[in-house]
Amino acid sequence: MPNVLLLNVSGASSKTRWQLLIDPPRPGAWNMAVDQVLLQQAAAQGRCCCRFYQWSEPTVSLGYFQRIADRREHTASMACPIVRRLTGGGAIVHDVELTYSLAVPGGHPLAIRRNTLYQTVHGSLIRTLAELGIDAALYKTQSVQKGGIASEAQPPQAESHRQPFLCFQRRSVGDVLLDAAKIAGSAQRRRRGAVLQHGSVLLRRSRMAPEVLGIEELTKKKVALDDLLRVWRDMLGKCLAADWQEEPLRDQQRDEVAGLAENRYVSDRWNEHRDRPPQKYSFRLF
Amino acid sequence: MTPEQLLYSKTHEWVHVETDSSGTKTATVGLSAFALDLLTDLVFVELPEVGRAVSAGEPFGEIESVKAVSDLYSPVDGQIAEVNGPIVEKLETLAEDPYGAGWLVKIKVSDDAGLADLFAFAAYRKQCEEESQH
Repeated sequence: MPNVLLLNVSGASSKTRWQLLIDPPRPGAWNMAVDQVLLQQAAAQGRCCCRFYQWSEPTVSLGYFQRIADRREHTASMACPIVRRLTGGGAIVHDVELTYSLAVPGGHPLAIRRNTLYQTVHGSLIRTLAELGIDAALYKTQSVQKGGIASEAQPPQAESHRQPFLCFQRRSVGDVLLDAAKIAGSAQRRRRGAVLQHGSVLLRRSRMAPEVLGIEELTKKKVALDDLLRVWRDMLGKCLAADWQEEPLRDQQRDEVAGLAENRYVSDRWNEHRDRPPQKYSFRLF
Repeated sequence: MTPEQLLYSKTHEWVHVETDSSGTKTATVGLSAFALDLLTDLVFVELPEVGRAVSAGEPFGEIESVKAVSDLYSPVDGQIAEVNGPIVEKLETLAEDPYGAGWLVKIKVSDDAGLADLFAFAAYRKQCEEESQH
């Protein structure tokens, strides 16, 4: 078993109630709208939520500060629909992957330091992969430690707009690697102390991003999405001391998601606003 | 400006208010060293244009550290009077001199009621210590 950080962040013997959503494949705009609503819920109602989801078609999600014009650098994914995330980092071609999100309210131990949530989620993923026979490791820029901490694969890059277009061609501390290849990464949005973190685990290479290898190509092992989801859900539950409560979105939340998807996440105004003079556009989340 | 002379918001902005001879108040706003330490590696900051109206407790800008986007909150109602443009291209200034050259915006205050929600240095330090224990 890799020697990775495994936190019971509650610090208590009792479990914390977490809403658990396991969603079917949906369009990018819907997926991003749900994550926003979960962040709003965490900020306004103090509710923790974990969500696992998929994409109804290969979709490019842009980091919050990326320019949509930069997608021209990546011709393989030009035919994919595109959606801008609330979170930073590089673009992701969501295809054969498991995507997750966590929304944590302000004041929660997981919400204070960025690295705590990263390490908890990614540590639980490494243990999950180990149970599935896959030896992954966390990316760390300095020391080399087998069994959980990967060696430096490449130096961290500087400013995001000078980094590679694709998230999975970037490296930052806490990414999940198989040897030197990144197979999982996450990004965060912070609002009024609450945190949304979402990320992707690459199961297999996408023809829309053939340069990025998934677990299957790297290990010659097939990991079924349902198996990964089942084992990771249980492992993450232990790490978070979470009492999972499978609860779908309420009707009012679904209406809110539908409104956000239609009015924001499919709109050029949102998706292209980093390519236009910023003073013309102003977005408020709440 | 020393940290002890400033006021602080719960969201880690520092504030220094000056009143000129006509009675107009201007709030200089930056991010505390503690917040910058939490954010770790900064990659991008977006600041508002001069003249934009801002409200106490509402975002006036955004800052991106490695893959985390966070909002910057105004402590007062008012109008953006000045923006520290050079730091957009020189983010290291924020960490090197957070209470001096690393200021973010100056706000011409129209309503300073939001100042009542700010902490003095000692109380802010206590908040930081509590957060550090997590």
